[in-house]
Amino acid sequence: MLKFSDHIQFQDSSVPSLFSFQQKGREVCAHLTDLKTEAFKYTPIESVLTENYFKVSKNAHDHTHCDCEKKFLPFEAHEIHFCDGALHHHLHYIEGAECLSLEDAFADHETAPYLNKIDLDKFPLAALNTAYVQEGIFLRISKTPAKPIALIYNGKSAGFHNIRNFIILEKGVTAEIFELYQGNDEAYFINMVNEIFVAPDATLTHYLWQNDGKTAVHSSFNHVHVKENGHFNSFAFQTGSKLSRCETHVLLEQENATALVNGAYVIGSQTLADTTTDIEHLSAHTNSDQIVKGVMRDHAHGVFQGKILIKPGAVQTNGHQTHRALLLSDDAKVDVKPALEIYADDVKCSHGATSGALDEEQLFYLKSRGIAEDEAKKILTSAFLNEACEAISNQEIKAFFEKLSFQI
Amino acid sequence: MTYKKELLEIKNLHAGVEGKEIIKGLNLTINEGEVHAIMGPNGAGKSTLSHILTGKPGYVVSSGEILFHGKNLLDLKTEERALEGLFLMMQYPVEIEGVPMMTFLKYAMNAKRKYQGLEELDMSEFMKTVRKQASKLNISSEMLKRAINVGFSGGEKKRMETLQMALLNPDLAILDEADSGLDIDALKTVFLGINALLDGKKSLLIITHHDDLFEYVKPDFVHVFSDGKIIKSGDQTLAFTLEAKGYTDFINEAKC
Repeated sequence: MLKFSDHIQFQDSSVPSLFSFQQKGREVCAHLTDLKTEAFKYTPIESVLTENYFKVSKNAHDHTHCDCEKKFLPFEAHEIHFCDGALHHHLHYIEGAECLSLEDAFADHETAPYLNKIDLDKFPLAALNTAYVQEGIFLRISKTPAKPIALIYNGKSAGFHNIRNFIILEKGVTAEIFELYQGNDEAYFINMVNEIFVAPDATLTHYLWQNDGKTAVHSSFNHVHVKENGHFNSFAFQTGSKLSRCETHVLLEQENATALVNGAYVIGSQTLADTTTDIEHLSAHTNSDQIVKGVMRDHAHGVFQGKILIKPGAVQTNGHQTHRALLLSDDAKVDVKPALEIYADDVKCSHGATSGALDEEQLFYLKSRGIAEDEAKKILTSAFLNEACEAISNQEIKAFFEKLSFQI
Repeated sequence: MTYKKELLEIKNLHAGVEGKEIIKGLNLTINEGEVHAIMGPNGAGKSTLSHILTGKPGYVVSSGEILFHGKNLLDLKTEERALEGLFLMMQYPVEIEGVPMMTFLKYAMNAKRKYQGLEELDMSEFMKTVRKQASKLNISSEMLKRAINVGFSGGEKKRMETLQMALLNPDLAILDEADSGLDIDALKTVFLGINALLDGKKSLLIITHHDDLFEYVKPDFVHVFSDGKIIKSGDQTLAFTLEAKGYTDFINEAKC
């Protein structure tokens, strides 16, 4: 039993198939004793999860009188909003896409072909998510949408927020998903799982900005299947919460499937941000590339764990990974754990990691031209981060992140 | 006789890096509108002087005084010295990946304008000003699009430094070995460019080994620098004597 299990409020779904889905998660959770697995070696998520995170807030969020329906993003997007783990009932019509609430999707058996794809014994937070999930969306995109689809998660009251989304791209579709996590200072734990299916010739670009409240604990897990000639491109930017983990697990299942898993994080005070990736090359001629950059101030702690696995037979594959850390304080630290597991010949794989402080010569150069020290540091920090944004093809979203990297 | 206003006064300066004195009792006054050249062999401490004047970290002043516009220069931060009108043309301008040249120029120019109590330049005004100065120095718009000094040749870097000098319009520019690594054509472009900026008010402190560049920028005063101080001062003819004799003989004679 997990130490905090007693504090969690269970709610059995009234939809039988969703209830049996929850049950599977609960069976796994019943055997879980702790989260201190090797995968959480540097990220002591369990130790920060006090019972406060599982109490239902006295001032529970009132969905009927909520400002969460307002538009949050400065660019055109279909915005879908969640508050404290619950979906706002009004779902926008998106041309070329079917968007259902999780309950409706389970009731209509839409989810059936996509269930049980995650090995819950291996991913305890996904098991917890499965056991306690109430809400989410089922999004099936059959025609390239005109604008990005944004999923916005607002944390407004203390509690354990579990959301499970299924995102399915049909053959040949190109789509962009933008996830924004934000919240106030309440002690909430958002535990998110996306199951993503990219059909042949389809391209999903996934953006994430984790800007959760400073007391929040954040875990988001993207479990992605990519078929022949399919592309999964992602950029995750973490700036918020007390402890966060963005985990991306990509299965390149057929030939010419590609994954570009980029990210950045800017953290200060006592926060910890963890970026964990696991790219499995299951077929020949698959490609993956990753670049993650982190900026740490004060006592912040960055974690990067990146694994590239090349399965037998996955010949002529490329898998590359880079992590660069910029430490702006002597008390900041970073843990990096790259791993390459290669079981095929004729592959090109690499990993690289660097960490260091700002370049004094560069700082002096800018200051010698009259630029104030703080501003000079910002210029250099955002230049450092911009390398991770370079691959973003949507210019509006790229500009959004570049601006953000300068402000933070 | 016209009264010359003192711009920079260095009085009995002793300075160096931690545990090692490099400047050993330097006196130098530069008035408004004057061009001074400091010549000396490698290792004499010429570049140390430029670093101390601009406030580069790692240097320690043990005694002496430096006044700039009558203010105690050593009390000012690097950026404040720049805003007060001091400019260093670097010997090895650093490359900064990820920061476009234009963005950098805009920050620098606006920092100066803000200090002078002026409004920030609007985009079109800024572009116009930069392009005008850039064309005089044969700097293409393609070069301006690149990141700071990234992939620039030695000559391109020095032309870019000259552009910054033109745009920031300092009262005193220190040219630290600005001629090093330049071929004859680049030397000409850079120093004619600098010469064109001299308006009778602006002063230069040229730090160099050779008198090659004096063909384009004429010094009013030449100082021979050896072992941390000025051992002899004169006009441009001093440079020619120096060039003819070589540093070793010249310095030995001066010591006698």
